[in-house]
This record gives sequence, C-alpha cells and structure tokens, in this order.
Amino acid sequence: MNTPGVLNGTLVESSSQMLQSIVLISPQIAVLLTAVGALVFEMLRLPKVSLPFTVIGLLVATFLATQLVGANATAFEGTYLVDDLSVWAVILLSPTTALTAVLARQEVRDTDREGTVYSLLCFATVGALVLAGAGDVMFLVLGVLLSSLATFALVAYPRDDRATEAAMKYFVFGSVTGAVMIFGLTYWFGVAGSTFLSAMERLGSAPLAAGFGFVAVLIGLGYKASFVPFHFWAPDAYDGGPVSVAAFLSIVPKVGAIFALVQVVRYLPADATAWPLVIAGLAALTMTYGNLAALVQDNVVRLLAYSSIAQSGYFLLGVVAIDQSGLAIRSLILFTAAYAAMNLGAFAIVLSVGRDLRSFTGFGRTNPAAGAAMVIFLISLVGIPPLAGFVGKFLLFGAAIDAGFTWLAVIAILNSVLSLGVYLRLIVPMYQRPKEPTTLSRTTTAVWTIALFFTLAVGVGAQVLLGSIG
Amino acid sequence: MFPLVSVTLFLPLLGAVLLVALPGISTRGAHAVGLVASGLTLLGAAGMWARGAGAGFTQVEEVSWIPSLGAAYRVGVDGISLPLVFLTVVLFFVSFVFSVKVTERARSYVALFLLLETASLGVFVALDAILFYVFFEVTLVAMYFIIADWGHEGRQRAALTFFLYTLLGSLPLLLAILGLYLGSDPRTFDMRAFIDSPPLTGLAAMLAFVAMFVTFAVKTPIFPVHTWLPAAHVEAPTAGSVILAGVMLKLGTYGLIRFALQMTPDAFRAAAPYVAAIAVFTALYGAFVALGQTDLKRLIAYTSVNHMGYVVLGVAVAAAATDAGVRALALDGAVLQMVSHGVVTGALFLLVGMLQDRTHTRDMGEMGGLLRIVPVLGWLFILAAFASLGLPGLAHFPAEFQIFLGTLQVYPIAVVAVLGIVVTAGLYLRAIQIAFLGKPSERWREMKDLSGREILSIVPLAALTVLIGVAPFLLLDVIHRATEAIGL
Repeated sequence: MNTPGVLNGTLVESSSQMLQSIVLISPQIAVLLTAVGALVFEMLRLPKVSLPFTVIGLLVATFLATQLVGANATAFEGTYLVDDLSVWAVILLSPTTALTAVLARQEVRDTDREGTVYSLLCFATVGALVLAGAGDVMFLVLGVLLSSLATFALVAYPRDDRATEAAMKYFVFGSVTGAVMIFGLTYWFGVAGSTFLSAMERLGSAPLAAGFGFVAVLIGLGYKASFVPFHFWAPDAYDGGPVSVAAFLSIVPKVGAIFALVQVVRYLPADATAWPLVIAGLAALTMTYGNLAALVQDNVVRLLAYSSIAQSGYFLLGVVAIDQSGLAIRSLILFTAAYAAMNLGAFAIVLSVGRDLRSFTGFGRTNPAAGAAMVIFLISLVGIPPLAGFVGKFLLFGAAIDAGFTWLAVIAILNSVLSLGVYLRLIVPMYQRPKEPTTLSRTTTAVWTIALFFTLAVGVGAQVLLGSIG
Repeated sequence: MFPLVSVTLFLPLLGAVLLVALPGISTRGAHAVGLVASGLTLLGAAGMWARGAGAGFTQVEEVSWIPSLGAAYRVGVDGISLPLVFLTVVLFFVSFVFSVKVTERARSYVALFLLLETASLGVFVALDAILFYVFFEVTLVAMYFIIADWGHEGRQRAALTFFLYTLLGSLPLLLAILGLYLGSDPRTFDMRAFIDSPPLTGLAAMLAFVAMFVTFAVKTPIFPVHTWLPAAHVEAPTAGSVILAGVMLKLGTYGLIRFALQMTPDAFRAAAPYVAAIAVFTALYGAFVALGQTDLKRLIAYTSVNHMGYVVLGVAVAAAATDAGVRALALDGAVLQMVSHGVVTGALFLLVGMLQDRTHTRDMGEMGGLLRIVPVLGWLFILAAFASLGLPGLAHFPAEFQIFLGTLQVYPIAVVAVLGIVVTAGLYLRAIQIAFLGKPSERWREMKDLSGREILSIVPLAALTVLIGVAPFLLLDVIHRATEAIGL
C-alpha cells in the first residue's frame, strides 16, 4: 500500500529537483532559446528583428547568470556543474557574442540567411557554455560537437573559395580530433566505470589508460582552444571566414574549451598522468610558437590569430595551478574578461580598416581616437599596466608561481616582451604618413568603445571584479 | 592633504590629453597648451620643493589597486628624487620655450613632450616597482616618436637603435623586479619595503643586481652599451637632445641608486670594484672619444658619457664605502652631478641647436670667429663649456669634487679618472677656439644674435649653472638629508 506513496514521493522530489536544475541552468537555456528565436525570425523573413532579439536574449542570459554568482551546485544529477567557472562563462561570453553579432551585421547585412548567422553564433555559444560547466564526459563531447558544427557553418558562410577551403580544413581537423577524443574517453569510462568527471579520481589505478585518455581529451579540447600543436586550422579559418566570426572563434569557443579543461583536470590524479607538467609544457610551447609565428605575419587577421594562439598559452598558466593555488580560478575568470574585451576591440577595428598590414599605415593619424583605442587594445594584449591584460596576466603568473611553476611564469614574461614586438609591427605603421583616411562605421565605433571601456575598467577596477568572484 | 605630487605628475599628461582631444588646434594654441601645462608643473614642483624632503620618503600618496597582490599606486619623494624632479620640470619648461618655433605638426610634438614629462617625473616619484617600470618604458615610447618624427637626416635608424637597445635593456629590470617581489614577505611591489628590508640575499641578490645594472647601464649609458647614444643625440631635434641628455640619462643613474644600491646593497658592495673600474674606463673613454669629434653635438654627447661615468663612479664608491660619512659624501656628489650635468648639458645642447639653426651645420670646422658676430650666444657657450669642464664656481665643480674626494678614500687608484677633466678641458678649449675665436668668416657675417625666445630658454639654465656653482648647499642640504640616512 505504501508503494504508490513512495513512488509519488520520489516523483515529487525529482520534479522539484528538475525545477531546481532548470533554474540553475536558466542562463544556458536563455541562450539556447535565443538561438532558436533568431532562427525563427529568419524563417519568418524578418532578419531585421533577428539581431535585436539575439542581443536582448543574450543580455537576459547574462542577467540571469548574475543572479547565480557564488552558486556552487550541480544540475541534472551532477552531470552539469554550476560553479564560478560556468556562471562567469555566461556573464562574460554572452555579451561577447552579442557584440560579435552586432559586428557581424556589417559583414552579412542583406545577404541571404542573415539571421542564421546570429542563430549559429548563439548555438556555438551554447556549446561553449556546456563545455565550461561540464561535469560528465558526455557533456564534453556534446559541447565540442555543438560549438564545432555551428562554427564550421559560420566560417563557410561567405561561400567563396577561401571560406570553403578554410571551413573544410577546420571541419576535417575538427572531426578527426573529436573522434580521437571520444575514442580516448571510452578508456576512461572503461576504467572508472562512470561518465562522471568526478569519478576520474579512480583513474589512478590505471595510469596507462588515464594517460591515454588525457592525451585524447587534450587533443579534442586543444583543437577548440587552439593549443600548439593542434592549432593548424586556426589562422586559415580566421582568415577565410568573416572577420567577426574570427573574433568570435578567438574568444568564445576557446574560453569554453579552456574552462572544460579545468573541469577535467580538477579530478584527474596528478601522479598518474603528470598533467600539470604536460600542461605547463603545452603552455610554454603554445605561447612561444604563437608569438614567433605572429612576428612574421603581414595579414592582420592572421597576426591576431597567432596572437590569440599565444594568449591561450597564458590561459594554461591558470589551468596548471588549479589544484595548488587559490588564485587560479579568479585569475582565469579575470583574464577571460580582459581577453574578451581587448581581443574583441582589436578585431572590431581590423574589421573596418582591413586585413592587410599596409592598410593600417597612418591609421593613428587619420583616426586619432580609434587609433589610440587600437594601441590600448594591443598594449593590453602585451600586458602593460594598468590595463586589463596586465591584471589578468599578472594574476595568472601569480597563480603559476604559487603552484611552484616559477620557470613557466618567467617564460610567460619573456613571451610578453616578445609579443610587444608582434604588436609594434602593427602600432608603428599606424603613426607613419597616412595614405588615405579610413572611415569607421558607427557600429564598429560603438563596439570598440564598449571594448575600450572594459579594457580600462577591468584593469583599474580589478579589485571590484576579484571581490565579486569571491 | 592636497595631493600635490600626483597633481604635478599628471598635469603634463592632462595637457597632452587636451591636445589629443582638440584636433583642430592651431600651432600657437598647441604651444600655448605646452607652455601652460609645463609652467603649472613647474609651480607644482616648486610647491613640492617648499614642502621639502626629509630622511625617508615624504609627501607620500597612496591608492590601493590590487591589495591581494600588493600592487598599488604609490608616489612620494626623498632628498635624492626631489632635486631630479626639479631638474626635470625646469628642463621641460625651457624646452617648451625653445620649441615655440616648431611648426611641423606642433600638436603632436607638444603632446609627446608632455607625455614624456609625465613619464620622466613618474620614474622619479614612483614608489611602486610596477609603476616605476611603466613610467620607465613610456619614456622610451615617447622619445622614440620624437626622434623618429622630428629628428635630422638619419633619424629613423637612430630612433630604432635607441628603441631596441633600451627596450631589450629594460627587460632584465622586469625580471629583477619579479625576483624582488617573490622574495618579499608579505609579497608586495612597494619600493619602500624593498629598501627597508632588501628581500634577496646571496646568489639571487647578485643575479638581481646584475640584471638591474645591465638595464641602468644601457640607459646611463656605460661603455660598452653606450653606442645608441651618439646617434640618438645627433639625430634628435634640439629639445629632444636636451631632454635625452638632461633627464633621460638620469633615469639610469637614479635607478642605479634607488634599485641597485638600495635594494641589493650587499651584492652591489661585492661588485663595487668592477663597477668602479667600468665607470673610470667609461669616463676616460667618453673624454677621449669626444676629443676626436668635429661635430659639436656629437662632442657634447660624448662628454655626457664622461660625466655620467663620474656619477656611476660616485655610486660605486658609496656602495663600497664602509664609513657612513664617505658614503654620504660620494652619493651627495653623484646626485649633485646628475643635476649639474642636466643643467649644463641642457644648456650646451640648446646653444648648439641655436648654432645649427643659423649655420645649418654642426661641424665646428665650418664655423669660426663667431664670438664677434654673435657675442651673447658665444659667451653663453663659453660659460656652459667652462662649467662642463669643471671650473670652480660653476655647477660641475662641487659635484665632481665630492665624488673624487670620496673616491680617494675608497679606491685611491680610481682617481686616474681625473685625467678625464684634463681632456675635457682641452677639448672644450679647442672647440671654443675653432668655432668662436679667430677671424670671422664672411659666410656668417649676416648671422643674428639670440632672439628673445632663445634668451628666455637659455638664461634660466645659465643662471642655475652659476647658482649651483656658488651655492651648492641649496641642493646639497636636501640631498644630504637623504644620503646620510642610507644605511647599507
């Protein structure tokens, strides 16, 4: 006689859990609904409505996420984590996506299927957000696939030879690395007997399988985050597609993949896989290679592509320190904020000025304000105080040193100096004799102004942000 | 309390921002902004002087930035930095007066000089290592553009050499600062904490010292890393040379005292004989190379190498001295020498610039008999040249006297550097003879003497040259209060 009651009880319990889960992932759901809505408006032949809807939807998601700051919970029976990383991923990445959508309008205005671009941007963002909170290997796979599929289409959007070739490379690379990752994850599942990332603590008993799986995950996520040597697609994809898509690729999927890597290594037994050392080596390689390759680029989009590869190396400093340093999470979140602002600002200006390094000749003289903003974005990327990039990098260095990776911090500092050379190649011609004046559209100006505000505010007001991360 | 130091520090930057915000401003308007901003800065520095400096750092202003990392905005002065602040504002003001004639892109020119003024002041008043480093680097950027855009014939190459040299040169300082930060407990970038209890010992301290020495040696400059200097000085516009020699070389020796001497004193003491030897060689080398020059600007540039060699010698002696009195004596001399060199060499570069504006050459062989044609310019040049060669009663004498007095008690052999004074005396007398004495050449018959603008820019420096010579105690009282308190 009791059975129905018990059954009823668990049902009530599980449905309230379900409700709670939905509240916890309401920001992600908002982004998903935005993606769907943008597509619906496109299908209704209302592309003009599509963009405002996207922007508003993403801002709603941001607002919902701000209500969850400080939460430390799991949704859907522990498979999705609602912690600092996943909440701040929404707060930082949703507005970034909104701004890239605004930028994209300049490049895709009045083309067929304009609204699908906004929709795809949102779908890719959902993928990144899923990655950032992954508590289960299936979420890793889902996140990588979701963000990859959407971004393949975005790169191919112009449908010319270059874009098609770039998207093809991106796709082939993505499917191979994705397959390798899934293959490796089956070993983890075999050993741990569970798909929960938290169960991966058990991997210590089988170092070989643990190491194999780790390499596979590193390949899958490393491709998304463009770590060297999984970066080959990045410069071609950035340069082949629209510049606004390059801006998006350089920030949103990358941050999602890096946060996912944090969620993975958190539970990984360090002695079985030596992951801190592996990631430290990867960081050094990525930073150095990215900067050296950027040094010889004549195409500004490719230059920024290699520079963003180098920047992912800096992110890894925070990942290395995740177990040993209390600074690590905060440094990652702060650097994400800094990186999103300064990189988006730089791409916004490149979008209007042109891809060729020569088109920047005299830009600082003909457009003093935008020129100064570009200089600030670039020197913030170098990491010069008091700008956002400095604070972000500085915290990352501090976290790495805390964790006993002083040598890595020194390499990172040397790389910062090297990167100054990279960005000076862009800054110096900006103040040579101008060829012809460049006019920036109002959209671009609005976007770089917002990016500039955050590049300065995150730097000067770092303490405020650090305080709210907790 | 009114944040006088910060206001003084950022006034020039405010002027620069104003100029950037006013793209349509006329040439006259731009120069007016420059004069007003640097004039107000001069007043601010006078106010700082009136407030005075004690043994330690005073007039400290502090705003926390990232407390969890120990980084903050911290500025203040002591007896070593205050005279250099004063030197900086005076030299910038006269440079702005002299530059009023610049018409080519005056707005950018003035804005860059104002940026450079804030950066230079910032280096002297910064009490936070990060802040120091930022200002140190910004001076580089501003000066690069000044040389590259308003310099003479070979400016692009000279500017790039200067930039690469000092950029690569300042990298070791960054590593040293990082080392100091990691060694401090609790971790901080507060330079006062580094000074009060030097955080590094043993090998780490020696490595940090070597790193800092390399950085400041490039900036000072010391043989063999001086090769950027002649080109940069010769190619820079006149006001650029004045600031380069008068202010920016001091950043090197100031850093040597503030960082190397005060933050790694034991390592400096161990290395002092080598530093002293390099300094003596630099001083002699500068003097002898200057002797071989016919280009007046190049000649003065090399005498700067000579004079800065004496400063480094004074600092090395202070590091090695076991007696507090001798240490203070040598440091007093070194700091005073920085101010004297700034004033005197500033004046010399201005005068050579005025000559070049008239003759369109810097080769003294083409001049001759100019004293009769332009007596005011000629006599002022002779005054500055005599000061530069160390004539008693003029600015360099009390400084060099104290340095040598200190040297005699620590490294008697190093007094061979005095030979440099004999050589500089010879080369200046030769230059005066060739360019100003003898029969006036027909070519320069129509040359006009100094205009009101030129007189206004040179007279303050000439007056200071004499004032420091006859009443050095005005500066030494302030300097001494800080140097006697330095216990190593």
